[in-house]
Amino acid sequence: MVGRHRMFVRRRDGRVEVRLNDLGRAVAREAFGHVVAAQQDPDHEWHVTLSAPIDPSSDQDDPLATLTRQNETSNNAELAVMTLNEQFLNDAEAWAWLSTLQVALRATAVANGLLSDEKLAACDPELMNFVRTLQSFLFELAECL
Amino acid sequence: MDAGEPLGGTTTGTDVITENVVVAKRPWNVVVWNDPVTPMSVVVVIFKRIFGYSDNKATQLMMTVHHEGRAIVWSGQRDRAQVYCVKLQVAGLQSTIEQDE
Repeated sequence: MVGRHRMFVRRRDGRVEVRLNDLGRAVAREAFGHVVAAQQDPDHEWHVTLSAPIDPSSDQDDPLATLTRQNETSNNAELAVMTLNEQFLNDAEAWAWLSTLQVALRATAVANGLLSDEKLAACDPELMNFVRTLQSFLFELAECL
Repeated sequence: MDAGEPLGGTTTGTDVITENVVVAKRPWNVVVWNDPVTPMSVVVVIFKRIFGYSDNKATQLMMTVHHEGRAIVWSGQRDRAQVYCVKLQVAGLQSTIEQDE
């Protein structure tokens, strides 16, 4: 039996080994970079996902809660960027990768209207490839956490 | 006892006495919404990490989100619900809070 190539592997010391090639790291870099940019730029197409309502029944969300969300999302994205070229991630770094990749995946879906299985199946191949790549990263990272 | 003094907090709300009438405050729910792109295993990992749920409970909640479009993943005081909702959003899930009906 031929084993599939794994992109993330949990080591016995608890660290997560990153086995992404240059292309894989380029995709991760693009995703992390967009999350950082979207936090800072209200006109970024991902910004709306990062500022979703917390309590839709209220006219305005608690400013402290939205600030906390902004800070924590930024911290995760910046930690992910800083560790982009590392071979091994500790638990906090791996969690930052997973959270930021998941934010990127959802933001991509929302920005492109991929809100149903039908819309997802009908999207253009390049976008579909980006979505599938992020999903595969997330699937394997989730197995390590 | 003063009117409005809590009789003891629970995770599902706080009872108060107002002129000898016990009024149960309605709890706040943390809701997670389905989307077509998030891998199921990611949702389970996030529920376990944020709430400390068992694998079984996290999987059951994920399946509820998947099949019903949403699931209440936690109920209790508003402040805590808001904190959990923010944690879920930071982890990339679509989450909101709402007061129990």
